[in-house]
Amino acid sequence: MVVEQEVLPYLTWLTTGGASDWTSLQGALVRFGLAVGAISVLALVISYIVLLVRYGPLKAGDITYRTVVGGIGELMRLSPRRIYALARLAVKESLRRRVLITLLIFALILVFASWFLKSNNPQPARLYLSFVLTSTTYLILLVSLLLSAFSLPGDFKSKTIYTIVTKPVRAIDIVLGRILGFTAIGTLLLAIMGLASYWFVIGSLSHTHQIDEATVEKIAGPDGKSLGQTARTSNDLYHSHSVEVNPDGVGFALEDRGHEHEVTRDGDQWVVSGPKNLLRARVPQLGKIRFLDRNGQPADRGISVGAEWGYRSFIEGGTLATAIWTFDGINESLLRDDALPIELTVRVYRSYKGDINAPIQGTIQLVNPKTELKSNPIYFGAKDVKIDSFNFPRTLNDVAGNEIDLLKDLVADGRIEVRVQCIDRAQYYGFAQADAYIRLPDGVPWWNFAKAYVSIWVQMVLVIAVGVTASTLLSGPVAMMFTVSFLLLGLFRDFFAGVAFGVNAEGDKVYGGGPVESLVRLVTQKNVMTPFDDSPAVRIMQGIDSVAEGAMQALTYVLPDFSRFSRENYVADGFQIPTSATLQDLTTCAAYVVGLAIAGYFFLRTREVAK
Amino acid sequence: MSGTAALDQPVAAARGTGETVIETRALSKVYRDFWGRQKVRALKALDLEVKKGEIFGLLGPNGSGKTTTIKLLLGLLFPTEGQALIFGKDASDVAKNERIGYLPEESYLYKFLNAEETLDFYGRLFDIPTEVRKERIEKLLKLVKIDRARKRQLREYSKGMTRRIGLAQALINEPELILLDEPTSGLDPIGTREMKDLILQLRDEGKTVVMCSHLLADVQDVCDRIAILHQGELKELGRVDTLLKVEDVTQIRARGMSPACQQEVRDVIAKHQGQLLGMENPTTTLEELFLSIVRDSEARPGRRAVEDQPGS
Repeated sequence: MVVEQEVLPYLTWLTTGGASDWTSLQGALVRFGLAVGAISVLALVISYIVLLVRYGPLKAGDITYRTVVGGIGELMRLSPRRIYALARLAVKESLRRRVLITLLIFALILVFASWFLKSNNPQPARLYLSFVLTSTTYLILLVSLLLSAFSLPGDFKSKTIYTIVTKPVRAIDIVLGRILGFTAIGTLLLAIMGLASYWFVIGSLSHTHQIDEATVEKIAGPDGKSLGQTARTSNDLYHSHSVEVNPDGVGFALEDRGHEHEVTRDGDQWVVSGPKNLLRARVPQLGKIRFLDRNGQPADRGISVGAEWGYRSFIEGGTLATAIWTFDGINESLLRDDALPIELTVRVYRSYKGDINAPIQGTIQLVNPKTELKSNPIYFGAKDVKIDSFNFPRTLNDVAGNEIDLLKDLVADGRIEVRVQCIDRAQYYGFAQADAYIRLPDGVPWWNFAKAYVSIWVQMVLVIAVGVTASTLLSGPVAMMFTVSFLLLGLFRDFFAGVAFGVNAEGDKVYGGGPVESLVRLVTQKNVMTPFDDSPAVRIMQGIDSVAEGAMQALTYVLPDFSRFSRENYVADGFQIPTSATLQDLTTCAAYVVGLAIAGYFFLRTREVAK
Repeated sequence: MSGTAALDQPVAAARGTGETVIETRALSKVYRDFWGRQKVRALKALDLEVKKGEIFGLLGPNGSGKTTTIKLLLGLLFPTEGQALIFGKDASDVAKNERIGYLPEESYLYKFLNAEETLDFYGRLFDIPTEVRKERIEKLLKLVKIDRARKRQLREYSKGMTRRIGLAQALINEPELILLDEPTSGLDPIGTREMKDLILQLRDEGKTVVMCSHLLADVQDVCDRIAILHQGELKELGRVDTLLKVEDVTQIRARGMSPACQQEVRDVIAKHQGQLLGMENPTTTLEELFLSIVRDSEARPGRRAVEDQPGS
C-alpha cells in the first residue's frame, strides 16, 4: 500500500514538519535555511583555505570578499533574455543529439510490453500502470542524465564556451539556461510519453464481454414480483463477471479485476459496455489505530509474526485481540447513498495452511467511542492484500438487534471507532494505520495520472539540476557518475541515514557499524551483532568510521529522498495522490534547483574557462 | 585599396593618444598541472597600455604568450600575478564584455546553428532588443559577405566562411574594443585583404583593435603599434613606422627614367660618397598579382588574364 507514509498538509510540512512548532527544526523551510546556511559557511571556509595556501591571507581574503559580494550582486541581475537564449540553445543541442529517439525506444518498450504483461494478473490495471510509469521514469531519468552531464563539458571541449563567457553572460545564466532548456525538452518528452502511456493502458485493458443466455436467472421476491435477473458474462481476458440487472434491464457486471461493466438490455440483446473504473483515484480519510491484545487489554501494537518489515502488527484470531481505528470529523457529508463507505486492507498470516483458497473470517463493527454502543458485527472473509469495501447504512442494528442511527447513536463529538477482529482460531490479521479508511468521493483518474507524471517530472528536474551543476566542475563522464551516485544514495536515503546515524527511521539501532567496520565484518565473516574485542586496530577502525559517519550525516541533510518522489504507486494502487504531496515535491524540487544553480554559479565563476 | 591608402596618411600618427582602454600591470601567468606544480611560465610581468582608437598588434612566434595575453584580458584565464584592466575594470568583471568583441583563434561556434541563428543567439546574450538585433544581423551578414549562406548550418561552412561568421559575431554588439586572435589565419588572400581592410575601417570608426598574429605582413599592414613577445617576455614595443624605419637608407622610386638618366643618378650618388644599394625594376608582390588576376577574372569571366598584367 502506498498510503503508508503519512502526507502532512502542505503548510504544516513547510513550517513545523508535524512537530509542535518550528523550533524543533522539522519544517521544510527551516531545514532548507539551515542547509543553505551550513553549506555557505562551509564553502566560504574551504575556498578561503584553498586561496590561503596559494596567495596568502590578505589576497585570499580580498578574493573571497570580491567573489561573494560580486556574486550576490550578479545573482540579482538575471537576464530573462539571456537565459531564454541559452535555454533555446540547450533545446537545439538536445534535438541535434537525437534526443527524440527516446520516443522511438519508448514506443518499442510499449510494443514489447504488450507481449509480456499478462492480462491474467488479478490486478491488470495495477500491473500496466506500474509498468508504464516505471519505464517512463527510468527512460526519462537516463535521458536527462546524459543530456545534462555532457552538455557543459562538451562546450568546454569544443571551446564554444569561449564565445559565451566573453559575452556579458553571468555564470548563473549558463547554469539556469541549461537547466531550463533540458527541462523544457524533457517536459515535452514526458508529455508525449504520458499521453502514449495513458492511451496504451486504456487501450490494452479495454474489453467487453458477452452474456450467455443459459446463465440468466430471474430473481423473484417472496411476493412473486420480479426483482431482476442475474447472469454470468463470458470469460474474456481470463475473467468473467457475475451480472445483476434490475427489472428495468439496467445493471452491472460486478467488480472483478478492479473494474466493472455497465449492462443494459436492448430488446433481446444484452449490451455490455467497456470496462468502468479501470483507473481509480480513491481518496482515503485516515484514522488513528490502536490495538487490544488477546485478553482485551489495550496494547501499543499487535503481535509480531516475525515479518522483517515491522510496519504492520497482527491480531490473533479467536481471541479478544482487536484492531481499532478512530476516525474524526464524521458527519453527514461523508455518507454516500446514505451509507458510510469504509475500506479495509487485511494482511493475512496463516499459522496453518488449511484451505489456502478459503478466506479467513473476521468481523467488523462500528462503535461509539464514548458510550461503547456497538453495531451488529458484519462477518467477512478476508483474502490477503485485497481491499474489502463495507457500506454501513445510516440505519442499522446494534448488537441486541435494536434499530440505531449511525450518526446519532454511534458518533460522539464527530468521532467513531471501527473495530476489526479475526474469528478463525490461530490465524492472524495484520494491520497498520493506513489499512482502514473512510472512502471519500473519488478524484479524477486522468488528473491523478497526470500528478504521477508531475512526480516523475520532479525527479527529472532534480537529475538535470544535479547533472548540470556537477558538469560545471567535472568532466562529462565524472559528472554523470556523480549524478548517478547522488541518485542512488537518494533512492536508498533511509538506509544511508541509518548507517550514518546508527539508528534507522523507526528508531531502531542499526547494527554493523560504519563503512570500514562493515567491510571488516564482510571480509572476516563476523556477525553484525558480535562486538569487536577492544584493541588499537579496532579503535582506529572506529575512529575512521566516526569521521566517515559524520560526513555521511552531513550529506543526509542535503540528499533528496528520491524514493519519496516516486508517487506512481499511488496511481497503480488506485489511490489519489494528495495535492499536498505534489506541492511538497514541487517545492522541494524548486529548493534544490535554486541551491544547485547557486552552487553551479560559484563553481563556474571561480574556474578558469580556458586552458 | 582604401585601406593601404589610409595607412599612408598622417592621420594614423594622431591616433592612440586618447583614453587608455587596456592596461596590464606586471601581468604574469604560470600554467600548473593538477597538483599545482609549475609547468610553463607563459607570460612574465607584461606591462602594456593600449589607447583608444589604435590598432595594436601582439607579435611573436608560436607559444610566445600572445593568446595567453588575450585570454587574460578577457578573463578566460586568471592571472597568476599582476592585473589586467579593461576600460578601467578588472578583467574578471563580466560587465566589461558589453563593450568587447572577441574573435577566438578558431571560430568556436555551435555547428548545428546556421549563420542567422548564430548571430541571433549571440545578440540575445547581449540583451539586444529584437528590432535592433534583426537590423544588425542583416548589416553584419552583408558586411562579412555570407548573406547567401545565411540559412546553412555552420558545419557546412568552409574555413574562411567560419572565420567571417566568427568576426560577425564579434561585432554584433558594436564593440568599442575588438580582440582578434589570428584574424587572418585560414583566409585566402582575398579574405585576408578584406579582413585587413575591415580592421582599418573599424579603427576609422573610432574603435580599438587588438590583434595577435604571427603573420608579419598582416601585422605590418594594419597595426599602429606592436608588441613583440618571445617566450612570454616583452621584447619590443613601439610604433610600427618608427620600428621599421631604416634611418640611414633613402629610397627613391620613379617612373619613366631612361638608362642614361639612371646612369646620371648613379653618378650623383657616387659623387656624394653615397653607396648605391640597388637600382632595378621592382617586382610586384605575389599578393598584388593574385588579387589583380582574381579581380580581372571576376570582371571578365572565362578568359586567361595573364598576358595583360600590369607591372609585367
